[in-house]
Amino acid sequence: MLNIIAQQIVNGLIIGSVYSLVALGYSMVYGVIKLLNFAHGDIYMTGAFVGLAVLTVISGAVGAGWTGIILAMIVSMMIVGLLGVVIERIAYQPMLNAPRLSILITALGVSLTLYNTVMVLTNGEFRAFKTDLGYEGISLHNIQISYTQIVIVLATAALMIGLHIFISRTMYGKAMRAIALDQDACRLMGINVNKIIALTFFIGSALAAAAGIMAGVYYGSIHFFMGFIIGLKAFTAAVIGGIGSIPGAMIGGLVLGLLEAAGTQLPFVGSGWKDVFAFAILILLLVFKPTGILGKTEIERM
Amino acid sequence: MLKKGLALVLFVFLALMMFGCGSQQSSQQSSNSESQSETKTEEKSFDGEIKVGLIMPLTGSEATYGKDMENAMIMAADEINDSGGVLGKKLVTVSADDAADPQQASAAANKLVSSGVMAVVGSYASGATLPTLAIFGDAHIPHIITVANSTKLINENRGNAIMINGTALHQGDKAVELFQDIWKVDSIVIVHQGDAYSEDLANITKQKWEEAGHKVLGIEVANKGEQDYSSIVTSIKSKNPDAVYWTAYYADGALFIKQLRQRGYEGKIAVGDGCNSPKLMEIAGSAADGVVCTSNPMAEYLPAAKDFIQKYKSRYNQDPGPYSSLSYDGIYLLKDAIERAGSTDKEAIIKALRETKGFKGISGEVTITDDGTLAKSNFVLLEAKDGKWNLMQ
Amino acid sequence: MVIKDLNTTIEKTSMDKRMVNWSDRIFEVFEDTKVKTGISTLLIVTSLALPYFASNYVLEILTNAYFYMILCLGLNIVVGFAGLLDLGYAAFFAVGAYTTGILSTRLGINFWLTIPFSILFSAIAGIIIGGPTLRLRSDYLAIVTLGFGEIIRIAARNLKITGGASGLVGIERPIFFGMKLYQNQHFYYIFLLLVFLAVFVSYRLHNSRLGRAWEYIREDEDAAEAMGIDRVKFKLYAYITGAIFAGIAGSFYAVKMTSISPETFQFTQSVNILAAVVLGGMGKIPGVIMGAFILVMFPEIFRSIGNMRMLVFGIILLIIMIFRPHGLWPEKNN
Repeated sequence: MLNIIAQQIVNGLIIGSVYSLVALGYSMVYGVIKLLNFAHGDIYMTGAFVGLAVLTVISGAVGAGWTGIILAMIVSMMIVGLLGVVIERIAYQPMLNAPRLSILITALGVSLTLYNTVMVLTNGEFRAFKTDLGYEGISLHNIQISYTQIVIVLATAALMIGLHIFISRTMYGKAMRAIALDQDACRLMGINVNKIIALTFFIGSALAAAAGIMAGVYYGSIHFFMGFIIGLKAFTAAVIGGIGSIPGAMIGGLVLGLLEAAGTQLPFVGSGWKDVFAFAILILLLVFKPTGILGKTEIERM
Repeated sequence: MLKKGLALVLFVFLALMMFGCGSQQSSQQSSNSESQSETKTEEKSFDGEIKVGLIMPLTGSEATYGKDMENAMIMAADEINDSGGVLGKKLVTVSADDAADPQQASAAANKLVSSGVMAVVGSYASGATLPTLAIFGDAHIPHIITVANSTKLINENRGNAIMINGTALHQGDKAVELFQDIWKVDSIVIVHQGDAYSEDLANITKQKWEEAGHKVLGIEVANKGEQDYSSIVTSIKSKNPDAVYWTAYYADGALFIKQLRQRGYEGKIAVGDGCNSPKLMEIAGSAADGVVCTSNPMAEYLPAAKDFIQKYKSRYNQDPGPYSSLSYDGIYLLKDAIERAGSTDKEAIIKALRETKGFKGISGEVTITDDGTLAKSNFVLLEAKDGKWNLMQ
Repeated sequence: MVIKDLNTTIEKTSMDKRMVNWSDRIFEVFEDTKVKTGISTLLIVTSLALPYFASNYVLEILTNAYFYMILCLGLNIVVGFAGLLDLGYAAFFAVGAYTTGILSTRLGINFWLTIPFSILFSAIAGIIIGGPTLRLRSDYLAIVTLGFGEIIRIAARNLKITGGASGLVGIERPIFFGMKLYQNQHFYYIFLLLVFLAVFVSYRLHNSRLGRAWEYIREDEDAAEAMGIDRVKFKLYAYITGAIFAGIAGSFYAVKMTSISPETFQFTQSVNILAAVVLGGMGKIPGVIMGAFILVMFPEIFRSIGNMRMLVFGIILLIIMIFRPHGLWPEKNN
């Protein structure tokens, strides 16, 4: 029994770290311009497809092992990061003074556009994400952890720590935090607000792309609607942690991953009810702590 | 200015899209119109027309299968017209897109009724087929359901429909045969995806397996598109069943099988007919070896369908897909029924359809029982080996 | 250099203004009382006479459009009038549909008698979802309503009484003074009548004390509270009213389709309804009706382009939102 619990904790942490990585993008964008970017899950999906395309091109030269995957990851993080900036410029920037709900629907329009573009391009089919990685791993007392899983968790941790340092230590990070507090004051202080917002979208989208490629490598198949569920889950994770908070997004993702694993195993819940279990705990959490685990108490209304 | 520039970009994008798809569409249509013109150039004199409605998903996530069905049905109709039509009349097909969605299916069915079709062939998703039963039933239109096979359809049939695909009842029998007589196992876990089709098959298999005196250790639900099934896999491993039966579709099924094997599950794995695509092996890789599929008869395993595959490939330049042969049979069965009825009276056609006995289609023999379903299951067992499905002997 | 820049800026803004004015003017025409009466009369007469010459297909599509109009008008009370975000509106529609479905298939209760139960249960659902959310900030409201919507759908999928994933089938068609309602014309008129009712109730609510209270809360919650408006109570009323609209629509949906299944009540359904409300113009009743109409007509008109359809829909949605962020036909005081 202990084995099973330990294995479920491992399962929860791994899926949770993917949630965290996607949730970061949600939280960053929300923190800076107060936008729930519903297209974020589709950016994750686009990242996986761009990654596969890049990997296919370069695998002839470097193979589809770790070198190829890391190269493909860096290239597609750049491409998708730029895509994020383009989306921000086209769809969100003209809307900054519009009602909040209208921006939400614009985000929905972006999501539909990305989702359906990929669907049309791939003819709605699943694509196998072929790599040269095997299933080898370590087995501790019947608990299996593959090397791929270890790399995913390490890479996620590295990206998050990097981001944390970037936001807390650099001038750009400082500017981001300042914009989150007061955009107009920042403009008066000579901060190039547009540039910083673009940077936020770049980083958020690049992280989502990284998560998308990792998912592709790990699961071995990608499809046009893979972003939908992960988008919902990452949004939930961001809220659990306290939307707008970077460490909150990390914790939220892990908590959600563990909740789902627990929901599957608990005899009175079961796999059919695991999402109900997770959402019910989310609602209870919000009732008792309305700003999420690490969210700041703000007096602000729509 | 920025706004305008951006809008311009969007408009251009939109225009390109429309143009692109316009040309794509026209090429598709041209293939259809070509086929029509073919029949025209031969200048057969037909003594009137028989309008046949085709209903299947042409948009949405199931569009690939729907297109296969439509292709096969149009091909069958053209062949029939080339050899003189039915009772000297020409078959004219009218396609309606149900998008595998109940609301859109209801609109599509009404569209067909409004256009005055004599009969309807097709229907892919069971959930989308349910509301159409009442619409075609009220209009007394003969309805040949070629793919949808949920057992819920049987009771809702208004007497005008027949189902020529085996139902979950047939498939459950086949699964029991596999587990009990071939694999000789006792305890199983069934996994479905929380949709009408896979849940129906899961529940019926559970019932039949328990009736046969064996154990079902649990029914699990794997959400569609979730990709990570590790927690379900761990839960299944803790139950340690002799076999696992996945009743849903191939895409997530492949991931599920892969994760099951990666976590060291060593028992048998079987999958339902939603998995009979070679894509399963492409995604799951070597993990799929030894997996057995309870499958509807697919063209490539049917000796009688060799000719069909060749014609299909040369006409559409692609493989026929899993549901085309049944749909192809559907059109020929309609022709057969009209000829047996000797008239194009709808009630007479319905009566003839329901009395179908020993109709020889490329997918097997069709004999219809009192409840409008197949008398004899046409399910087969396929085994995955070296990246291919092979008929299990 | 600077002056030149300034000039172009002025030019830009005036150009933008002109565009906005141009599109606003179209709808301004409709604000004129005479035109308004004329057009509404025309619309009402056409919609009443339509079944006499339109095909079943056209009637079916219009019935579907009417159905979404009711849902959109209901959501408009929550989103447009009271300014609350709701991403799980399909849940209330599900509650109504399943109440009628379960009562009529399991207990054999007459359809018309199930409607009060639908109203009751959807109102209770409104209280359950409204209760805990009233303290929350608007964005948290989004996730709670979303979560609630998913909980309802998954519960419907897993429970025995709701028929699991296959849902309920064989829901009896209603009998109205001895006449069995099953033809397209019948449902066309029923849904048209419901739309009239929904529009009437919406206007009455909008101009009532309740409507004004919602408006205050929407514009400035704190000021509203300072004025002595019990915001918790009035927000809850908004949820309940919106839920009842959806519940009634759901009941009629169940008997029209004769079968219901959880896949109809997915998150996408909630998002579509919300998109129609925002697209048409939050708070503006004719705007919302137009939004619902577009939502239903679009896929039908563009069906021929196959899978490109939703892509085009996404792009058009983007363009409309960028150019008319307040919706196609916004409320005046925005």
